[in-house]
Amino acid sequence: MKSFVLAALALCVISCQSKEEILHEQYVIEGRIQYENNCANCHQSNGKGLRNLYPAISNTQLDAPALAHLIKLGRKSQQGYMPANPKLQAIDIAEIITYMRHEWGKNEQTFSFDSTRIALKDIN
Amino acid sequence: MGKHETRVVAGQTDTIYHQIPPFKFLNQDSVWVSEKDMEGKIYIADFFFTSCPTICPKMKTQLVRIYERYAQNDQIRILSYSIDPEFDRPYILKQYANRLQVQAPRWNMLTGDKKAIYTLGEKSYMVTAQEDKNEVGGFVHSGAFILVDKQRHIRGIYDGTKEEEVNHLIEDLEILLKSN
Repeated sequence: MKSFVLAALALCVISCQSKEEILHEQYVIEGRIQYENNCANCHQSNGKGLRNLYPAISNTQLDAPALAHLIKLGRKSQQGYMPANPKLQAIDIAEIITYMRHEWGKNEQTFSFDSTRIALKDIN
Repeated sequence: MGKHETRVVAGQTDTIYHQIPPFKFLNQDSVWVSEKDMEGKIYIADFFFTSCPTICPKMKTQLVRIYERYAQNDQIRILSYSIDPEFDRPYILKQYANRLQVQAPRWNMLTGDKKAIYTLGEKSYMVTAQEDKNEVGGFVHSGAFILVDKQRHIRGIYDGTKEEEVNHLIEDLEILLKSN
């Protein structure tokens, strides 16, 4: 029994991730689901969009706060229009952006719920 | 294959396919397109609108796949009827087609009298197409692709939002190509 506990402890030390890593993974997993439900329809699962009709977002040059704005408010321009997403909350948007970074940006930094809230503070 | 009725003539069962009646609408180049332009052509029809935020993007992804696959085949056409023709004037359709990098006559995006388009959709192509203020985007429509043969008979209806269903359409299209 004692050796079992020791072994379990040892395993945990080796395999257990830090709190931050677990949180990051949760963001990525949830973000993937949100992305598939809200973004992939136009921008496609691979983020490459559809020709010039729906732009590729896998290589976006926007920083995270600008991206958060765009996701929440949509955009109307000469080039086309993207609908707003009033139903998406700050946490959903944080997860989507973290997922995009992970998937296409080679960036494993979490874009946190708090950062998203700050980015969106001027739009309720 | 496809939607049809049967009747018995002189003791023999005959298959009668549903036929698309004559039509005439403007395409993205402001050119009239009618059933006469479809003579000798197999075509795929669908109903959409350019500002659709829901199922149209998926449908267009699949139609681009078909368009590319048959890029060199002059027997095949795509007809996309707008169900928001008051907004989707030819110049709007032209912008849309340009951004999608597709061209008439192989892919016609059609606009015209709204009632005529809705009637054609519901009575002839057997798909839902109507205005609905409660729906996201303001219209409710089916995501169907309708496969029509050279005699303007409907030969199959497929869910244009699903890749596997569109694969079935392509299989049936190949059979049609071989049969005439």
